[in-house]
Amino acid sequence: MLKQVTGIQKEMQHLTVVPGTSPSTIQKPYIVDCKGQTDKMTLQRKLEILSDAAKYDVSCSSSGVGRKGDGTGIGNTSAAGICHSFSSDGRCISLLKILFTNECIYDCKYCINRRSNDVPRASFTPDEICELTIQFYRRNYIEGLFLSSGIIHSPTYTMELIYEAVYKLRTLYRFQGYIHVKAIPGADPLLIQRLGLLADRMSVNLELPTAEGLKTLAPNKHRKNILAPMRQIQQGIEQNKEEIVVYKHASSFVPAGQSTQMIVGATPESDYHLMMVAENLYKKFDLKRVYYSAFVNVNEDSELPALPGGPPLLREHRLYQADWLLRFYGFEAGELLSEEKPNFNVLLDPKADWALRHLEQFPVEVNRADYQTILRVPGIGVKSAQRIVRARRNGNLSFEDLKKIGVVLKRALYFITCNGRMMYNTKIEEDYITRNLISVKEKLPFDRDGMTYRQLSLFDDNMVYEWKQAAGG
Amino acid sequence: MEEYYLICEDSLEGIFSGVYDAYLMKMPHEQIHLCLGEDENLRLFAVYRECPVDEVKAAKVAKTVVRRFGQEAYLSLCRAMASPETDKAEAVYKTIVAGLSMKNPMEVMGNLANPYVYRVFELARFVAHEAHFHVEFVRFQELENEILYSVIGPKNNIITFIMPHFADRLPLENFIIHDEKRNIYAIHPAKGDWYLYSGGGEFPEDRLRCSQGEEHYSELFYSFFRSIAIRERENLLLQRNMLPIRYRKYMTEFLMNK
Ligand code: SF4
Repeated sequence: MLKQVTGIQKEMQHLTVVPGTSPSTIQKPYIVDCKGQTDKMTLQRKLEILSDAAKYDVSCSSSGVGRKGDGTGIGNTSAAGICHSFSSDGRCISLLKILFTNECIYDCKYCINRRSNDVPRASFTPDEICELTIQFYRRNYIEGLFLSSGIIHSPTYTMELIYEAVYKLRTLYRFQGYIHVKAIPGADPLLIQRLGLLADRMSVNLELPTAEGLKTLAPNKHRKNILAPMRQIQQGIEQNKEEIVVYKHASSFVPAGQSTQMIVGATPESDYHLMMVAENLYKKFDLKRVYYSAFVNVNEDSELPALPGGPPLLREHRLYQADWLLRFYGFEAGELLSEEKPNFNVLLDPKADWALRHLEQFPVEVNRADYQTILRVPGIGVKSAQRIVRARRNGNLSFEDLKKIGVVLKRALYFITCNGRMMYNTKIEEDYITRNLISVKEKLPFDRDGMTYRQLSLFDDNMVYEWKQAAGG
Repeated sequence: MEEYYLICEDSLEGIFSGVYDAYLMKMPHEQIHLCLGEDENLRLFAVYRECPVDEVKAAKVAKTVVRRFGQEAYLSLCRAMASPETDKAEAVYKTIVAGLSMKNPMEVMGNLANPYVYRVFELARFVAHEAHFHVEFVRFQELENEILYSVIGPKNNIITFIMPHFADRLPLENFIIHDEKRNIYAIHPAKGDWYLYSGGGEFPEDRLRCSQGEEHYSELFYSFFRSIAIRERENLLLQRNMLPIRYRKYMTEFLMNK
């Protein structure tokens, strides 16, 4: 670092790269001349149709694997993922999210691309996908490719097309950025295996939380067929880990792990049901992420709820908060909800809700309580909890210190003591605290008058990057 | 009690040279302060002393910091020094003092109850965030000769923190990032090492003509940018919180809007 900051000033005439001159152009393997192709539809139109058709898939995350470039092509990946823009719905744009084709032989009731819809149809060629990915990537518009597809002819045929595009992108174009592909249920397992060696992340969408829901709304899909590739990918990842231990240069299989997505609010399941499904997916299938997608009624199908208030965004938000509690805060779904209390509190985030029902465990002494206990205090997030544990080694912390560290005291004050004292002389009583917590207005992501994700109560401090990913990234 | 103010140059070398000189004075550290050049308010009972940049001294301090505090803390200090805030020199100096007096100096950046450490932490966090925003939002345009060209205007001097990322990512490209606020160019020749260029005027506008493909691909991206949004979820406020307005004047998809 020191050397880089120091006067590496060059005279302009000695610069190796100067605009307006012709610097040595190095052969770039990823710039391929595709001009030979002619097609009736312009690339622009195709891109419009096939990104519009892909947008309901929530995942856009580019996280899970950090990989340096090898110097022979283009691209690398960052373990935390990188967002590159935000669309007008506030969701992160990280990957070029497109369908290979929006033709489909299936007729899922919730889907804009279903066979019975009269919508414009288009298909990319593998080279078009490669060209778009490379040219967008060079300009730092995107972090990589997210390729999904409607089902054309058969699942295996579709998977072959996807494979061809991804294979070209990785080998011919030497693209080393992030690739997320959908595994299509019912496709030849061999293809899934081969694709897994090229992709960073794979996902199979669960679509609906129950098998019955799937049966009514996606008559061509079966729960069994969805779980089979999920299991295959999970086993592939495990096996690959062992191989990599033995042979250092074995290529990695889906190194960024697999994810899935459930539609929320199209079928009558409770939040409890959804969380139990999610918990199972994390535990039994080792998923990296479960995404929740507030149902958008695009088809106005009579079998689907009308949702006059728009997509159930608050519910989706509560599910993400709870999902966070499962993955980073050591909570179990059964602690948050139950058969008797099957849905999240509309007014309170799930963590505060839990704390209020367990007041007997509070207040906790911040200077002594263990990390896991501190993590359960409303107003203290993962980063703050880590900072507390680290900072208190150098002496007892005061409320002032906690504030600097990023604790949201307005929320935490009912649940903690600092050196044996509470911040104010306050009642520890459920109704009283509830009223006070609710009066500290929770900042919601879709609250049109004053939301900031950065101030999200559950994730106190500057957890903005993680939030970007949660926000549909 | 006499107070000493060492005036350092506003650079990593300048501040580390100051730290070295402060230690040379062999006086209680409370009596010594580091400040940056010009606009420091003069105090009546203080002695001001210019502190020249000395790369050997600076390198010694840097080495000590890495050895005693570790890479993570060193990076925090480097980041803090990229801030435009003038109290950074004092914060860095006193953080080093605090760290060296700790039982385990490796833990220095965890000691947030110390106001100087906290200040370094705060400055470094801002720099890290701004650098991260640039990794996300930098936009390259392709010039006529295939050079990728980007203009940025960061509050902190973050260019050296983002170059390694792009150099690793685009090894075969000639690319340039121009910090228009400081008039620094970071230049990466294809297959070569990147370097900084400053103080030599700007590239003339007429050399910055875009390639033919540029218009085509920026339009393609703009249409993708619009079609990927879900109308039923429109939320411009959320968009603004995630992507602050001040970045947009450098970003292709927002420039096309006009
Ligand atoms: S399989 Fe179902 S969800 Fe997928 S594109 Fe076809 S109709 Fe839509």
